[in-house]
Amino acid sequence: MFGWEFPPHISGGLGTACYGLTKGLAKNDVEVLFVMPKASQDEDQTYTRIIDASAVAVDFTQSHITSLFQNVSFIEVNSKLIPYVGINQYYQLVDQMRSGTIETQTSEGKRTFSFTGKYTQNLMQEVENYALVAAQIASEYDFDIIHAHDWLTYKAGVAARKISGKPLVVHVHATEFDRSGEHNINDIVYGMERYGMSEADAVCAVSNWTRDIVINKYHIEPKKVFPLHNAVEPVLKEVVRKKYVKEKIVTFLGRVTFQKGPEYFIESAKKILDRDPNVRFVLAGDGDLMHNAIERVAELGISDRFHFTGFLRGAEIDEMFGMSDVYVMPSISEPFGISPLEAMRAYVPVVISKQSGVSEVLTHAIKVDFWDVDAMADAIYGILHYPALATFLGEKGKEDVDNLQWEKVAARLKKIYNQLLNS
Amino acid sequence: MRKICIHFQVVQPHLLRTYRFFDINQNHNYFDDYQNRYLIHRLADRSFLPTNQLLMELIKKYPDSLYLSMSISGSTIMLLKEYYPEALESFKQLIATGNVEITGSTLTHSLASLNNKSSFLEQIRLQEEILESTFGVKPTVFCNTELIYSDEIGEWLYEAGYRTVLTEGARHILGWKSSGYLYCNPYKTDLNVLMRNPNLADDVTFRFNDSTWDQYPLSADKMIRSIDLFPEEEPLVNLFWDYDLLGLVQPEENGIFDFFKAFLSQLASSANHQLCTPSAIVESNTTKSTIHVPWAISSSGEEKDPNEWVGNELQQEAFSQLFKLEESYNKSTCEYTKLAWLRLQNAFHFNFMSTKWLPHESVKRIFDVYPSPYQAFINYMNVLNDIKIQLEKTEKKK
Repeated sequence: MFGWEFPPHISGGLGTACYGLTKGLAKNDVEVLFVMPKASQDEDQTYTRIIDASAVAVDFTQSHITSLFQNVSFIEVNSKLIPYVGINQYYQLVDQMRSGTIETQTSEGKRTFSFTGKYTQNLMQEVENYALVAAQIASEYDFDIIHAHDWLTYKAGVAARKISGKPLVVHVHATEFDRSGEHNINDIVYGMERYGMSEADAVCAVSNWTRDIVINKYHIEPKKVFPLHNAVEPVLKEVVRKKYVKEKIVTFLGRVTFQKGPEYFIESAKKILDRDPNVRFVLAGDGDLMHNAIERVAELGISDRFHFTGFLRGAEIDEMFGMSDVYVMPSISEPFGISPLEAMRAYVPVVISKQSGVSEVLTHAIKVDFWDVDAMADAIYGILHYPALATFLGEKGKEDVDNLQWEKVAARLKKIYNQLLNS
Repeated sequence: MRKICIHFQVVQPHLLRTYRFFDINQNHNYFDDYQNRYLIHRLADRSFLPTNQLLMELIKKYPDSLYLSMSISGSTIMLLKEYYPEALESFKQLIATGNVEITGSTLTHSLASLNNKSSFLEQIRLQEEILESTFGVKPTVFCNTELIYSDEIGEWLYEAGYRTVLTEGARHILGWKSSGYLYCNPYKTDLNVLMRNPNLADDVTFRFNDSTWDQYPLSADKMIRSIDLFPEEEPLVNLFWDYDLLGLVQPEENGIFDFFKAFLSQLASSANHQLCTPSAIVESNTTKSTIHVPWAISSSGEEKDPNEWVGNELQQEAFSQLFKLEESYNKSTCEYTKLAWLRLQNAFHFNFMSTKWLPHESVKRIFDVYPSPYQAFINYMNVLNDIKIQLEKTEKKK
């Protein structure tokens, strides 16, 4: 399995999903070798063996490996289009830009690559080098199936497939259409995604929403595209309900980017505050639309009731859910969207956009169109003002989430694997 | 000779429009006029008009042997009056034949009988008024919303002047007893209880077009044969249906009209069967035993209880908030808001809030109004909140 990140060092839902899936596969008696660009050695290796790509020496004397990469040239990705980059990370980025992948020459034509494993400026070069390492790994290890997560690892997956001849599954956690919207597609990323999906023997999409995009926008044969919804890890400790203000709190938690639709959250807030000033809205997260968001809130004159927390992590997130009365996810295009599940796990009622994969697996959530600010405001207002609804949604929502288990997802994935192995 | 009692419930609600919280105390148009107009036209064109015509023809052919009964909710009458007077005219003609007995019901297909005696009696009174003014009839038989009935509801009906009530032949109530006899309320033994045959009516409603059913296709002959299979000493077969079964639940293409035409014709001309109105049955049957119904039963689902409308916490909350306004209703002078409050008692609104069938879609829902029970609840509560404010504003000063 080729991934880009693995807990604890993650920047989005991808790493969490990879962890859940490998754990689920282990419970279904599927052994997983997880290759990642840069392991920090504190990953949980209970359920999977982690291979650190930075520690693999690529043997350039083996011509069948190098021949795959004769025509490789590196193209830099426009920085704005790199996923998961927040303003705060800007200076880190600059540092990494200066460093990038470091090639280390070793003896007798073997080289190792030091990957950053982050979403840096010279990502494309890392992607290519990662593929090179993948080819080396494919010739050294014994396995039955290759599974590659998201476009960064597709090249690696395809390389491994060419070397080993084993079937390739690519796993679509997000597409360029989700990240950048219909009209800002990065052709290089799109090309890479389409290449991986076309070469793959099976494509797993995290929802039917994403499956439709794969079929319609990437023109992949429908019969090899399988929906495989994400699940969520059960909580070990209950989130403590604790509030420091008397007003009700409505929360948005996620990257403040085009994809997540923060502006619809702000417009809904305005509509509600016009009728009921005893509500506080929290926008937790960071992203390239942060400035616009702050300006819009000021323009609407609701700054006294609208709060920005910046990027939250770990315990802060739990604390945030602990004080929330409603969680809102107004995403414009969300392949899956794990955060509402985390809210529901903490008994917080959720309002989510219909344009999300997670809405396909939830029964006890209020689903609205992301652009329908009236409906969104009405749903939030309803939860805040009709206590029976809040209680009912909170309890039923928890049941809903408890039913989504990685073990079940992995069992479905195992079926897909078997299908590929038997065909 | 076995008596066959056929009854149809004619109901259609005033659906609410999308009513946002920012409409509260700003805007008092609660109902979706466009949708309501469209739906009553669709219902009348596909079901009411062709069925009325079929019954008229049959009554003309068998004026002395074709009898049945019907209840029409006040809401339906109002919808027809406003949007489709021709269709209302067709009901008037049908009732004028004298072969169709009109039974009492609530004005707005109300759930009031589930816990509120005074509101229930108010609903009955208003329905009697509209029946009198529209059709010139005064009912003596009662058919409650979705056949809801209990011993207590029976006593209330007795107090309101009714002597016969139609309800569901719920298995958990009947036990070893058969729905083929006449029963009475244990406390008011003068109140006759007619219980619906639990299988035969559902055969038509749910299985008429089900090709996996072993009796498919259902014909009039088969249906009558099933009736004849009941023990000879059982004097009755009660068949109660929703009127929209003909043409809407089972569309014309399925042959539902042909089925009913053949079924009713054969019964009307049969020497072994007699089609009767509920009143006629009560007059000719003197022997009856008591039936105890301690908790409310209804025609809903397998359980035959009211859980479809008041089963979850949302429904219970909406229900209790609704009836908290009764006093304001009594004091208010605003007829428009008072009528709106009565309409909010309609069982359909509560049906939309049901989570009984989740995550699988409701099998019973004929039209899709809300994306989820939660949105149904929010919309309902928004409207209810405005009605509350308006009722309180218009209370009579002492």
